[in-house]
Amino acid sequence: MINEIIATLIEIFSSNSMQIPLIQPLVDYLMEIPLLNILVALILWRPFFAVVIMPGLIVLMLYLLYIVWFERKLTARIQWRVGPLEVARPIRGAIQALADGLRYFFQEAIVHRDAHRPYFVQLPILAFIPILLPIAFIPAGNAVGIKTPYAIQLIVAFLALIPITIIAIGWASNNRFAFVGSVREALMYVAYEIPFIIAVISMIYLYGSGDPYVAVEKQSLLPGAILNPIAFLVFLITMLMATSRLPFEIPEADQEIAFGPFVEYSGMLFGLVMVLAYEKLYIMALLFVILFLGGWNGIYCDLLGDLNAPLWLFIKTIVVISILAIVRSMYARYRIDQTLRYSFSWLIAFSIVALVVGVVAGWIV
Amino acid sequence: MKVEKISRSPIAELKRHVDVIQEAFKQALIPDRITIEYPRERRKYPDNLRGFIVLDKSKCISCFRCAQICPANAIQMGFYDNFYPSVDYTKCIFCHFCVESCPTGALSGSNLHDMAFKSLEDMKVKTTQMMRLPTIIREDKQTVEYFVTKREWRLVRRKELEDLSVLRIIPKIKPKRAFCEEPESCLGCRQCMEVCPHDAIVMERCEVTLEGEVVGKGCILKVTEKCVGCGLCVRQCPMKILTLKEVE
Repeated sequence: MINEIIATLIEIFSSNSMQIPLIQPLVDYLMEIPLLNILVALILWRPFFAVVIMPGLIVLMLYLLYIVWFERKLTARIQWRVGPLEVARPIRGAIQALADGLRYFFQEAIVHRDAHRPYFVQLPILAFIPILLPIAFIPAGNAVGIKTPYAIQLIVAFLALIPITIIAIGWASNNRFAFVGSVREALMYVAYEIPFIIAVISMIYLYGSGDPYVAVEKQSLLPGAILNPIAFLVFLITMLMATSRLPFEIPEADQEIAFGPFVEYSGMLFGLVMVLAYEKLYIMALLFVILFLGGWNGIYCDLLGDLNAPLWLFIKTIVVISILAIVRSMYARYRIDQTLRYSFSWLIAFSIVALVVGVVAGWIV
Repeated sequence: MKVEKISRSPIAELKRHVDVIQEAFKQALIPDRITIEYPRERRKYPDNLRGFIVLDKSKCISCFRCAQICPANAIQMGFYDNFYPSVDYTKCIFCHFCVESCPTGALSGSNLHDMAFKSLEDMKVKTTQMMRLPTIIREDKQTVEYFVTKREWRLVRRKELEDLSVLRIIPKIKPKRAFCEEPESCLGCRQCMEVCPHDAIVMERCEVTLEGEVVGKGCILKVTEKCVGCGLCVRQCPMKILTLKEVE
């Protein structure tokens, strides 16, 4: 009975597995070992591979370890400092984020008396639902969790849910800084969400579909950044605003309101809320690469087979995020009124121009 | 300096954006780092920077001037065979007033600038510890020096290492001696005589007899060759008629 179930499962997994010629002999060898073969088959099952390994959770974890260190190090270099160094000195402090994570893990998470206790503890975990669900819809070549022609719209819809959890976190903290931070987050949400959605809609008009496969296929000659440069610019700026990075780091302004909505968190809960913005940045950068930089188009290597597409998507995403990290050390923070003025005048105007460009270009193409 | 009005034209704004992006990428690739990795890099200090205070016990005359002049109240006089100073480095502000006020040059500075103490109690350096020169353990791989002009601020790194032997910086002492400016104002209270650690002040006996005859040379202060110029009498004198004067 159990053998039949396992055999059925292996058959299901193997029918839709990643074909990677480089590790094929190893896979063939492992598939003959009982119990281990079901694990190997599961890992190489395309939906599982896309959601859990690449571009899913494991790569997301590695990216978090990398980007926290890289951003601190780059900012330090530009500001004439050294940056994290003493943890693992031979590799220039590269495991600093891991050390910080371990410290958060063993630190006491304090829930203060005035906080709304259930929400205060639940919301950092609930916030991961809208952040991690888009991974199921982001395809990387053949590796895809849930294949749907409305993937781009779904990703945008999930991204729009994230600020609600952050505002709720600020409310549950019951602290004046957290309150100011949540109000700022709400204002920023109104400021960036409209130009962002219009920019995405312009690209959907351009490609004629919300399907990432269609979008990537249409970018085989020219990337979307050249097809619609205005939408590219608007998306870039709204991405900075949405992930509260420095020119628009208004909700979390360290120097003014001490990390805003997350001011009361400590221990592991702080570790969870701290990476929210980075994970949102990862999802948005994946969408950015799919819409504007040709997705998983790249030089095809026969040896890697199906792994080509996730690898190219990942490399492009990391490059985009690494370039975005430098913006942090270049600009000072805008005031909330300046940001709202810019976004409601210039950004919306640009996004409407981008929409017109998208409609016209979509009609020509 | 007057702040000029910034041009807000789009071309000027764009130029500033390009400038900042250029500078950021330049610094990201070749950073002009100005922080010092302390134990691995030793900063070259200027020669006249004030450092650890050393005591030469044989010269000390226990005049207490160092303890009295200390603005941070860091010097305490402890009794051994005589009173000798000890410095509390939790309070010391390295003004070196004590070194400059020392009349005999018993206290002197040194070229030791980075001191490390194991505990707060160890920072109260005793007289016996002040009498011997400490040693520096070498941890540095290179020497760095700040190069500061009006336009530029950068750090110069060199491979050659500094000599780490701790040296006393011998202060230049000009011999001084107490001197009475207005002998006619002297009260004859003899406080100067009592305070003098070297019995250098001699008061000659003076009496006026019933016949109106003056016996002796009078209430005249006589500073003998024993005076080392510690200035205690100057501080003590109620009429403020004593001063310190340099002698050749």
